[in-house]
Amino acid sequence: MLWRVAPPRSWARGIRNAAHPPFRSPSWDGALSFGLEAVDLVRSFGGLRAVDGVSFQLEPGELLTVFGPNGAGKTTLLRMLGGVMKPNSGQVRVAGEPADVASRDWRHRVGIVSHQSLLYGQLTTTENLLFYGRLFGLRHLKTRIPERLESVGLSDRAHQPARELSRGLKQRLALARALLHDPEVVLLDEPYTGLDPHASAVLREQLASLKDGHRTVVIVTHNIKQGLELSDLVAIQVQGRFSSVTDAASLDLAGFERLYHATVEDPA
Amino acid sequence: MRTYIGLVWAIARKDLLVEFRTLERLIAMGAFVVLIGILFNFSIDTTVVRPQDIAAGLIWMTIIFGGMLGMGRTFSLEEQDGALTGILQSPIPLDALYLGKVLGNFVLLSVMVALVFLVFGMFFGLTFAGSLVSLVGVVASGVLGFVALTTLFSAMATRSSMGEGLLPVLIFPLLVPVIVYGTTATNRLFAGRPFAEVDGNLRMLAAFAIGSTVVCAWLFRFVIEE
Repeated sequence: MLWRVAPPRSWARGIRNAAHPPFRSPSWDGALSFGLEAVDLVRSFGGLRAVDGVSFQLEPGELLTVFGPNGAGKTTLLRMLGGVMKPNSGQVRVAGEPADVASRDWRHRVGIVSHQSLLYGQLTTTENLLFYGRLFGLRHLKTRIPERLESVGLSDRAHQPARELSRGLKQRLALARALLHDPEVVLLDEPYTGLDPHASAVLREQLASLKDGHRTVVIVTHNIKQGLELSDLVAIQVQGRFSSVTDAASLDLAGFERLYHATVEDPA
Repeated sequence: MRTYIGLVWAIARKDLLVEFRTLERLIAMGAFVVLIGILFNFSIDTTVVRPQDIAAGLIWMTIIFGGMLGMGRTFSLEEQDGALTGILQSPIPLDALYLGKVLGNFVLLSVMVALVFLVFGMFFGLTFAGSLVSLVGVVASGVLGFVALTTLFSAMATRSSMGEGLLPVLIFPLLVPVIVYGTTATNRLFAGRPFAEVDGNLRMLAAFAIGSTVVCAWLFRFVIEE
């Protein structure tokens, strides 16, 4: 699509003009809803604008990777997309429905994986999933949990306390936790942090399975190589703003690295 | 309603499961109670003061200080590995999260309170002449009021740069009703006075406990939401 290959600078302008997005046709099936939509999100901490007018639209099944240096506001953006943090202004929509953090239905639609595991080390892997399953009001947990553990290769660790798992296994359990309620949107914040190459490769396979054509995925990372591997779209966030959004298919690693460093050094 | 109670219970159950596995808070509170009991035992001249006359005050102060040790860490567990973010991303109403925390803390503090009475009974040779049911009512109401406040303020302190050091400063002024009515009612029950003399204090304690729980459950969202 044309909008994906527009030059970065014009993109930055277009993307912030969320009231009249010029860059995207309504949807792949003609409906007026996207898998995930961010409309002019703003979040400040004191005088600092951590996220400054970020807008984007993703169709169901698309995977967007957001790159950016430390302090660019990537985690803040992800927390707003996940409904954990309220934006000062702007809106998040999942399948066209505005985020209503008080709504049980809406929260069922989103799953989050962070660089922290969001797990309780003293509880076993099964107990962790049981706890979150109860919070989500899920039924048939006795069958659902073993299925999820199997899908991330942790069946043989079902009764092991989470604190005894290696960083890589813990991250796989975190993924099972995030997918337990079968969300339409999955948000991943630096999922590869602290993983050795083997654990990264295993996690990458798990993440690749998320690209089932239905789930919309956003990954936030500063690791360019790993981030590019699975992406359909890539964005660079600097000083709270999206400076560029590009179709990943049109990119090569070296070219994107050059664009990234140029953007980070001169965000204006 | 069943779902709501289920969510409250899920939080409390998880907290209790984690605590009974680590015994982190129970050991800290229990050790404090035993040590304080020993110190009070040596610091009071029983030829001048009858332990029976001052026991209620000492018991309530021990409950408050000992409880503070454990309750102050209510949310630090959630901060390890970012578990609170996982809970906040789930569809649980924030007041249900708060009430689950209060329920878990209430059970933990009740265990500590039982130890307080045991230790003080042993060291001070206390005899109890009043109604046991009334004593349980007084202590449960006081403990609920205390737990309701400390759970909220613990969330506040965890999110503040001053951390747990902030908790006593914020909470002691608000605990005056618990101390006043709890000590008076317990003193009278130790002295074997009739229930009519305790009734007013018990009502005040119960009103304080219910009021604190309701108000703090409502305020919790403002503390926890980012």
